[in-house]
Amino acid sequence: MRGYIARRLLLLVPVLLGVSIVVFMVLHLSPGDPAEIMLGSQATQEDLARLRRELGLTEPLHVQYFRWMSHVLRGDLGRSLWMKRPVLDEVLHRFQATLVLTGSGLLLSTLGGIALGVASAVRPHSLLDRMSAVTSLFGASMPVFWLGIVLMVVFSLWLGWLPASGMWAPYGGGDLRDLAAHLVLPALTLAAASMTIIARLTRSTMLDVLGQDYIRTARAKGLIEGRVVFRHGLKNALIPIVTVVGVQAGYLLGGAVLTETVFAWPGVGLLMVQGILARDFPIVQGCVLVIALTFVLINLAVDLLYVYLDPRIHYE
Amino acid sequence: MTMGRTLASIITMTVALGFWAAPVGAQPAGTLVVGLVAEPVNLDPPQVTDLNSNRVGRRIVETLVTFPEESTQVVPGLAESWTISKDGLQYTFKLRRGITFHDGTPLNAEAVKFSIERQINPNHPAYKLGKYPFANFFFGNVKAVEVLSEERVAFLLNEPRASFLAILTAGAASIVSPTAVMKWGPDYPTHPVGTGPFRFASWDRGQRVVLEKNPAYWKYPVKVERVIYRPIVEDQARLTELLTGTLDVIVGVPADFVGQLEQNAKITLLKQVGAHVWYLGMNNQRKPFDDKRVRQALNYAVNKEAIVKDVLKGTGASSRGPVLPGTWGADPALKAYPYDPERAKKLLAEAGYPSGFSTTLWVPESGSGMQAPVAMSTVMQSNLKAVGVNVTLQTMEWGAYLAKLRTKEQELFALSWMAGTEDPDMVMYPLLHSSQWTPVGPNRALYKNPRFDALLQQARLTTDQAKRTQLYREAQRILVDDAPWVFVDHEIQIAALSKRVQGFKLHPSFDLRVETISLR
Repeated sequence: MRGYIARRLLLLVPVLLGVSIVVFMVLHLSPGDPAEIMLGSQATQEDLARLRRELGLTEPLHVQYFRWMSHVLRGDLGRSLWMKRPVLDEVLHRFQATLVLTGSGLLLSTLGGIALGVASAVRPHSLLDRMSAVTSLFGASMPVFWLGIVLMVVFSLWLGWLPASGMWAPYGGGDLRDLAAHLVLPALTLAAASMTIIARLTRSTMLDVLGQDYIRTARAKGLIEGRVVFRHGLKNALIPIVTVVGVQAGYLLGGAVLTETVFAWPGVGLLMVQGILARDFPIVQGCVLVIALTFVLINLAVDLLYVYLDPRIHYE
Repeated sequence: MTMGRTLASIITMTVALGFWAAPVGAQPAGTLVVGLVAEPVNLDPPQVTDLNSNRVGRRIVETLVTFPEESTQVVPGLAESWTISKDGLQYTFKLRRGITFHDGTPLNAEAVKFSIERQINPNHPAYKLGKYPFANFFFGNVKAVEVLSEERVAFLLNEPRASFLAILTAGAASIVSPTAVMKWGPDYPTHPVGTGPFRFASWDRGQRVVLEKNPAYWKYPVKVERVIYRPIVEDQARLTELLTGTLDVIVGVPADFVGQLEQNAKITLLKQVGAHVWYLGMNNQRKPFDDKRVRQALNYAVNKEAIVKDVLKGTGASSRGPVLPGTWGADPALKAYPYDPERAKKLLAEAGYPSGFSTTLWVPESGSGMQAPVAMSTVMQSNLKAVGVNVTLQTMEWGAYLAKLRTKEQELFALSWMAGTEDPDMVMYPLLHSSQWTPVGPNRALYKNPRFDALLQQARLTTDQAKRTQLYREAQRILVDDAPWVFVDHEIQIAALSKRVQGFKLHPSFDLRVETISLR
């Protein structure tokens, strides 16, 4: 097991290298020149040429890439072109906010999704089941920004229960209660689609499991229904659910970009959008690297969870 | 059923959480909260070109001279008086006494020299600390900044430029604390120090920038204790925050919300035409736009009023020429091209295009000052179609677009300009003088008229403002007749304020002067 983890961690290296090359190339080959954007429409040709030289943009791409990589390997992600701040500090600072948001989104979608799915499976074709089918259709097909704005209008503007945007109250605030209030709407927005997907999957897996012989045996032994459903049913249905939760975790990281923009959540997604618009290459590269790293770590965690859930699985 | 109960309790808890977290309004007294469209990127005004950064940064620093509210006459700022040499080559300023920067450094001639020379002198210790986008544009003409005494400083120019005083009102001409710049080095933009009405307190990335009032402000006592700037990209979120009372001021009110806000008794809506012009550039060196009749035809063909009314919903004022009406250089006698498709068709026929022609219009998807470029261009496309001109729209990303305009391959292109300094020279010279043809300068229409050039040059050498006014008026008459662009609109800036806010006015330069605000 320990060897397996070590090998998986080693495997991260080529994956991250690949990601970094793709991101670097996409950014540098896509139209939009940071020098043009930084100097604006008043810039002279000489100013632009000088700035491009200073930024190292005149060299061949592979040279630029290797220089950047060699710095990255030494833990230096460069300085933001605009903010002049070290990229690593900036990205890590923002990443905490993203973790809070995606973490609660994941928790909400997993717990909510499993609860809904189990409830639907226990009573198939009941009102709840049918309602959940309909809302699933909505949840999975609703654009994040639209849902976000609807929730914002209802809960902030009309009802006045929750703040519309940001992570903390602008003037101080800063306790957990303040954070929770700001978190509800974005987390709900982010979680909605995943929750419905997890719910549908849980329902079908649970239906499958609940039809198995050992469930009938358990019931025949006279176990109470709750114990049958959770101890015997759910635990055995969990493996495909864990897989889809893992996939959804990645999806949530991506969805955070939109959610953060809608709700002015000060995370890495918002920073990335800002970086892309300003062609702030070091910032965008830093954001993508951190997100990619998280993504592969989540995959690793999912694989390890399999072993825990199903002792029959062995990794060599 | 247990599941149903679990679900019910989850819902109840969510709702309860809402109530538990309920009170979300209520600002502490003396705190003004401003919603920005995007986060400032850098708080050193000479280093930035975007409005959000400038609007915050310029609260911290000041300039030698400035523009008062609603006037275009240059007035004293950090300098209490100045003299201009007869030949127009030396500007000497006398600084106000007893002003210190927020870090205690005294404001003196050395500080002025430092602030300007860091941008243009490669041997200056702070030269490499930032990119100064306006350095050449504004100060390329400055030979040296000389310290005459503790409180007297002189700018020596290579050649006369009558707009130089106006240039010194720009953000690029901000006077900064040399001590702070050298102390923080490349990190200075996150630790800015000036003499302004507010001093920098903190910057919580992505979340807020906090400024505190400068209790020793020399001009007048500042009435709010602190200003918090919050970047909120999403229009609906910014609006919701204003309506729920967590924001006091928002700018960049989207056109679609204006009607709704006008009805709202809790909100004050302010409008002000800005020193901005949005134009449809034509490549004056290319067929068929090398023919004046074709260019005039396009001016008649475009329905500016409809664009302003239907696309911009009143957030623009249709334009007669490049200079903002009402400012001192504008020609009040100037007539706009009326919407007259028949006249356009006639002119096209005279120019040898009775059945029109096909062309390409380059449009950026967005960009500083661009309002609604694609929607506006689409309307123009259909206007032009009606007179036989088939336009293909080609949309581009902003950075790519600016680069592409340097290739001189443009036929039609959509662009805008914010002068910021309110001097007609700063609009007409860079955009239309033939020495400024792209890629050297921003004359992307490749317009050239020797008479027009001569008038602008003469105006640069004249310090008498009445005389300059005459020269600029004549230049505008030539320009509008030549029609190198289709003059489309001037942006009307809109701010929405809560009723707490008193004493605030929008400024034509798009600056956001919150230092005049008091809170009820």
